[in-house]
Amino acid sequence: MSMRLPKTVLHNRSANPNFRQSFWGFAWRTIVKKPGRLIGFAIIVLFALMGIFGPYLYPAQLPINPNAIYAPISWQYPLGTDFEGTSNLALVVTGARYVLFAAAMGAVFTVVFGTILGLCAGYFIGLTDSVIMRITDFILTIPSFPLLVVLSTVWNFGQPVAMGFVLGITGWGGLARAVRSQTMSLRERGFIEAARGLGLSPLYILFREILPNVGSYIAMNLLLAVTGSIYAEVGLFFLGVVPFQVNNWGVMLNLAVFSAGAMSSPQALPYLLSPMLAILILTLGIVLFLDALDEMFNPRLREV
Amino acid sequence: MKTVMARLAKRLVAGVIMILVVASFTFLLVRLMPGNPVEAKYQSLLLNGLTPVQAMDEVRVMYGFIPHQSLWIQYLHYLGQILHLNLGQSISYEGTPVMRIILGAAPWTIILVLTGTVASFIVGILAGVIAAIRRNSPVGSAITISGSVLHGIPLFVMALFLAYVFTTIWAVLPFGAPYNAALTPGFNGPFISSLARHALLPVFTYALASYGGWLLTMKSSVISVLGDDFILASEVRGLKTSTRVGYIAHNAILPLFTILALSLGFMFGGSLFIEDIFDYPGLGNLLVNAINNRDYPLMSGAFLLITVAVIASNIITDFLYSVVDPRIRR
Amino acid sequence: MSAELMHGKSAEPAVRVRGLNVVYATSQGDLPAVRDVDLDIEAEKITGIIGESGSGKSTLVMALLNSVGKPGKIVSGSVMVPGVGDMLSIDRERQRRARGKELGLVFQAAQNSLNPLRRIGHQVLDLGRSHEVRDLRDLLRKASDLLTRLGMDADRVLTSYQHELSGGMRQRVGIMFALILDAKIVILDEATTALDMLSQASVLEIVRELHKERGLTTILVTHDMGVVADMADRVVVMYGGEIVEEGPSGSVLSHPAHPYTQGLIRAIPRISGAIDRAVPLPGAPADLKTYLEPGCPFYQRCAAAMPKCQANRPTSLTVSADRKVACFKVTDHD
Repeated sequence: MSMRLPKTVLHNRSANPNFRQSFWGFAWRTIVKKPGRLIGFAIIVLFALMGIFGPYLYPAQLPINPNAIYAPISWQYPLGTDFEGTSNLALVVTGARYVLFAAAMGAVFTVVFGTILGLCAGYFIGLTDSVIMRITDFILTIPSFPLLVVLSTVWNFGQPVAMGFVLGITGWGGLARAVRSQTMSLRERGFIEAARGLGLSPLYILFREILPNVGSYIAMNLLLAVTGSIYAEVGLFFLGVVPFQVNNWGVMLNLAVFSAGAMSSPQALPYLLSPMLAILILTLGIVLFLDALDEMFNPRLREV
Repeated sequence: MKTVMARLAKRLVAGVIMILVVASFTFLLVRLMPGNPVEAKYQSLLLNGLTPVQAMDEVRVMYGFIPHQSLWIQYLHYLGQILHLNLGQSISYEGTPVMRIILGAAPWTIILVLTGTVASFIVGILAGVIAAIRRNSPVGSAITISGSVLHGIPLFVMALFLAYVFTTIWAVLPFGAPYNAALTPGFNGPFISSLARHALLPVFTYALASYGGWLLTMKSSVISVLGDDFILASEVRGLKTSTRVGYIAHNAILPLFTILALSLGFMFGGSLFIEDIFDYPGLGNLLVNAINNRDYPLMSGAFLLITVAVIASNIITDFLYSVVDPRIRR
Repeated sequence: MSAELMHGKSAEPAVRVRGLNVVYATSQGDLPAVRDVDLDIEAEKITGIIGESGSGKSTLVMALLNSVGKPGKIVSGSVMVPGVGDMLSIDRERQRRARGKELGLVFQAAQNSLNPLRRIGHQVLDLGRSHEVRDLRDLLRKASDLLTRLGMDADRVLTSYQHELSGGMRQRVGIMFALILDAKIVILDEATTALDMLSQASVLEIVRELHKERGLTTILVTHDMGVVADMADRVVVMYGGEIVEEGPSGSVLSHPAHPYTQGLIRAIPRISGAIDRAVPLPGAPADLKTYLEPGCPFYQRCAAAMPKCQANRPTSLTVSADRKVACFKVTDHD
């Protein structure tokens, strides 16, 4: 412990002994600074709660109402109803869990694969680097969405974790490349050279010295990967190439367009617009919140 | 020029390897699929009363490989067939060679993707330059916001929205089919205008979906070039504003070539949504239908061709880049 | 229009700066970079402007061309150039024409002053077109002559891209660009700093020759006292955005009046004599805090500081023929 090296040289946090505590305070102050960020944060929290508790708000089998098929927007049905007379709001709320959980898993897998491979390529350079980068180039070149569609024929996407895993496998290329170049520049810095000079193990240096310094970049990408994952999985269900097992937003979109004919019959329009609205609001929330993250982690912006 | 050729050759080799990997992937995918479709087809042909030899011939023609032989032999056979540009026969289009089907669909996708990419690239870059130079004015902010918003909207949401607005609410544009079937294809006015009208909406969707990305990237690239010393030097030497803007644009646009290569994968991937929603008969539509019909030879073929298209455009982009940037040309 | 300069009423300065104030906008408010500068640059002379980094010397010369980059901002003042007018108030097109044509600047980062995507020759042509040069072939010939004089293979340089030239070569190309339109006022802002000692000496020698030959008015911005002693007719010493001393270089260097100038001269290591005879200036260069204080900017580091210096800012006063100093110690004696 006595020879602990300054981990956070980049951000000068080491000067502050109560860093952990003050970071959350600082994060909160950054968020409330602009109303847009606060709105973004609120939207993300709301959707997260929807994903966790949504299904408990409604009975397992959503009630159908033959007298209210494609009912217009009303107090009872704030977003109208679908072809069976089920409330669209209930469908959106209960459908959030699969979408958000899979997106979160997708983002986690993307970040884990991208970070580990990027760190290794950038730190070990030489052969390791060229092998990893060849694979990265390959992953970046293969059009990922068609690949997902083809994979859907063999892979069971019923479990959100399985969906997230495949999203991660196909999506880590860009992050790996960026983490690699940051690692490469970090490994030439004094404190990393010092750590190597002390004979610390590469694992220790990678995860205790370098990782914290690329952490900010990874945090930003985690959020971006969430949006990317949502688009990809909702897109898969929308195209109908994945068997429908659970209700989710993509299934709603598919049924609305290809079964209910929402494109030509205006009465089915609320059924189409409900999941779209959910996606757009969540995207908006993430875009607004990214601005706050950018300031939190980008020291150059912080001064201003 | 010598280094450009060496670079190109390297890229070509890498491209061929990639295609090989993708072909192997689709081979394994179909072979290792749960309830192996090749085996299933073979069995069902036997049940239909064919002799084992006839059934095997049928399957061989259809999928390009033979059941009851080692995976390795099948693989070599499959690769050999691909070298002869034989991708087997379609199941859903009763015995039509897959190659013929996908070659019929490919031009539509390539035309859409190319036109959409070029249109969004040009508009996005011009808007990006304005957004960067006027970044402290309302016009600049408005342009930047337009880019962020369009960049954030998922492709299928945009396609559905445009389809709804222009073919349902305000039905000014045709839907589905690449041209009016009543017209004779050929180099004549009505046919070409019909072709353009049918392509307008899909191309516009492609362009709108990637416009935001170009704009935002170009804006940040221009801002970073504006901080370069040689731009200050050109001011100090009293160069005309038009010349200086030219210097800025030329330098700012180069990094975008790398991104152009990456975005092509996105654009070809987008063809799945756009062609599905607008019912346009391209590769994306073919791929989705093939999966829905469990037409595996067609699926493999369409996926392979999409990948080849992306790899080829990548190589072309890289080649153009090395021609435009003297630092590589050397 | 340059006729006036050529025939030289020697009383008329080539550049007359009055009441110039430049600030840098920061989140903590405007930070002054150049404060209340009055300066006459004598025609056909070499003027050295010297000071530590951050003393405002580069900002000052950029302000002469009205090209202070953001976040810098010229707040007030005038820069009169005969035949052009006040660079700070004439319209932008006339400013642009004056840059390069009347006032040639080789700036600090001259190594990176070239467009990396165009051949040097093309950039010469761009310059010619921007300044309505009719005979472009003649311009290329001039460029070629200058490059040869600067010790380079002109044909090779003109057909090269920036990345094909070494740092020293790029710097010389920067000098060529400042001279090619026959600007009468040439400003070299640390133009030779990046060069090694030998090329620095040879480039300075060429600058001196051209200066004589063409009757130029040359401004040398540097932190190197040796260059000033070697080249300059007059010297201007800047500290904390202000001119603290100016006068003929011989007299200023042999009898520095301002404590800062004295410190600068003491800090020069000499080839003859022990290294420890060089005495570094104590303390840190002027910073944000210094600028905000009401007194003399050099107060914190001055060995001769008086109580008065902390509260009041000394103004620049003429102490003897041709010499001005801003220091109570000196001016109060008179």
